[in-house]
Amino acid sequence: MPWYSFKTLLGASLFGSLLLGVTTPSRAVPSFARQTGMACAACHTVFPELTPFGREFKLNGYVLDNIKQVTGTGTDNRQTLALNSIPPLSIMVQVSYTHTGKALPDSALPGALAKSGDVLFPDQVSLFYAGKIADELGAFVQLTYDGIGDHFGIDNTDIRYAHHLSFGGSDANDHALILGITLNNNPTVQDVWNTTPAWGFPFASSRTAPGTIASTQIDGRLGQSVAGLGAYGWLDGHFYAEITLYTAATVGGAHPLDSTQSNVAHGLAPYWRLAYEQRWDRNSLSAGVYGIQAKVHPGNGTALQGVSDDYKDAAADVQYQFIGENHLATLMATYIHESQTLSASVIDLFAANTKNNLKTFKLTAEYSYQRHVGGSLGYFNTTGSSDTVLYAPAPVVGSASGSPNSNGYIAEFDYLPWLNTKLQIQYIAYEKFNGMKLNYDGTGRNASDNNSLYALVWLNF
Amino acid sequence: MKPAGAAALLGAALWAAGMAHGAENPDLSTAAQRAMLQKTLESCTACHGVSGRSVSPTFPSLAAQSAPYLELQLHAFRDQTRADPDAQAYMWGMASQMSDGLISAIAAYFAKQTATAGSNETSALIVQGRHIFEEGVPTRQIPPCASCHGARAEGNGPFPRLAGQHAPYLLKQLLVIQSALRTAPVMHGIIKELNRDQMQAVAAYLESI
Repeated sequence: MPWYSFKTLLGASLFGSLLLGVTTPSRAVPSFARQTGMACAACHTVFPELTPFGREFKLNGYVLDNIKQVTGTGTDNRQTLALNSIPPLSIMVQVSYTHTGKALPDSALPGALAKSGDVLFPDQVSLFYAGKIADELGAFVQLTYDGIGDHFGIDNTDIRYAHHLSFGGSDANDHALILGITLNNNPTVQDVWNTTPAWGFPFASSRTAPGTIASTQIDGRLGQSVAGLGAYGWLDGHFYAEITLYTAATVGGAHPLDSTQSNVAHGLAPYWRLAYEQRWDRNSLSAGVYGIQAKVHPGNGTALQGVSDDYKDAAADVQYQFIGENHLATLMATYIHESQTLSASVIDLFAANTKNNLKTFKLTAEYSYQRHVGGSLGYFNTTGSSDTVLYAPAPVVGSASGSPNSNGYIAEFDYLPWLNTKLQIQYIAYEKFNGMKLNYDGTGRNASDNNSLYALVWLNF
Repeated sequence: MKPAGAAALLGAALWAAGMAHGAENPDLSTAAQRAMLQKTLESCTACHGVSGRSVSPTFPSLAAQSAPYLELQLHAFRDQTRADPDAQAYMWGMASQMSDGLISAIAAYFAKQTATAGSNETSALIVQGRHIFEEGVPTRQIPPCASCHGARAEGNGPFPRLAGQHAPYLLKQLLVIQSALRTAPVMHGIIKELNRDQMQAVAAYLESI
């Protein structure tokens, strides 16, 4: 047994596995195009990034329809059914190839290396129900077959109800207000800007390349392990406000939830969001704040009761879009600050410090020519307080320094022969990985060894 | 017959056809029809702006647009006879389920909205555009735009209002009409010899008024 304990190794491995799993790619769905009769370009710059109209479509509850409806009317003349005559179903297929700078250690044989270069066929296959359920009620439901986990599971889901109000002026038409309700399983999956984590850049990335050790709760750690019910308002195409309350709803494993689960929300975790958008000419600019306050039981062998960890995430985001006839460009930035009070983790020996903080900054610039050829450049930087237990040493996924600090760049090239078909080549280069540039894990692995090339065929139909 | 005369004649025929759809008397007799109109307008405003005053030049402003013109276009979208790329991408779907009555009601609604104010800018380009609009380009046998679209481009029956419209949208329409991606029988002959610089000038002028 090396100098680090089995428990910290297990914890780091689980944590690393979790992080590898949280970068679920975001998607766009042809069933919306079938339902609305509109081309992908109406709602997307390049999928899955939304245009201003795409944001309106989502805020309106995914219900805009331009196909024949199966309808029903009650005796009181009330409409009792308004169903698309064809179901809004779509399929997504992703096939990928990943090559990391240096081969990863064999998962079973000490000293041996795993195969260099990994093809996933499929990386993921998803089935969507995405569209109208009834008047003012719509859904985005995704079932995903995971090529690594070799299983089907629930993925991003957002079911929403949206009601229009107009008021002001002589014909009560000066102001437009959408009031909506969302039921979803991933904080920010309901958001309409691509700066927030669930639909943020990179839209698809390798799940076989090593992921960094730390991420904030809002940045994917609660995805598909919570259920949230929230209310939002969207006024005059400018002001957005939302409150959603999340509770633990981990999928799979032991139910009722028990000590075999990990990162289980305790009580209600309020998520909040405020944003403002201004559109002019071919431009749109939005700025906002968002955050979540979550009490979490670490689980992972410890009881889901008593003291919990307390996370307070507060974030700001800015997005600028230019959508021209030929040239499209987007700038996106978000900064997330998380204050951690790890009372339970300290007792359970998952963390050394009661108080930690974690900060993430992401900046992305995208360009596309006629939605046909394009690319992105991204910078990411995570910093935070060191904690030699929380960020414990472990081969590849651990940290010898106890620091979560990681930063690097992403370059991506996209070619879309069709609007629903993307061929993507992405390269991620790390300057620092889990605290260090060189020998970051204590076994001689360098940050640049995790640089990875990710080639992806991404089909939606 | 001179192009302008032919245009006026054909325009009158189209206008009569437009009126036959009943823009003046849209059928809004039931609460259900009024609710349908309201719901449809909510979709329109997502791109065409509140009360049809659009922000993005991808989408034309519809406020104060001539009702017969709007009706003709919505029918052309529904029938897929207007087939320029944006029409296909956005409007074919949008108009596919519209009844004649709903089309008339939508047209009537936008026709009575307050027009978008022009930018009121002046430049050499705008002056050139005004000249083309008011005088035409006689050397290229291009008649004055004003002869059909009105002295202040306020529109007339099947001839659309152009005043205050986004210049990039107008330029794009001139290009797709000239290349026959968008069918517009009157305009095909008229703008056949209009070059891109002249299109930009006239579009800039129209946006300014």
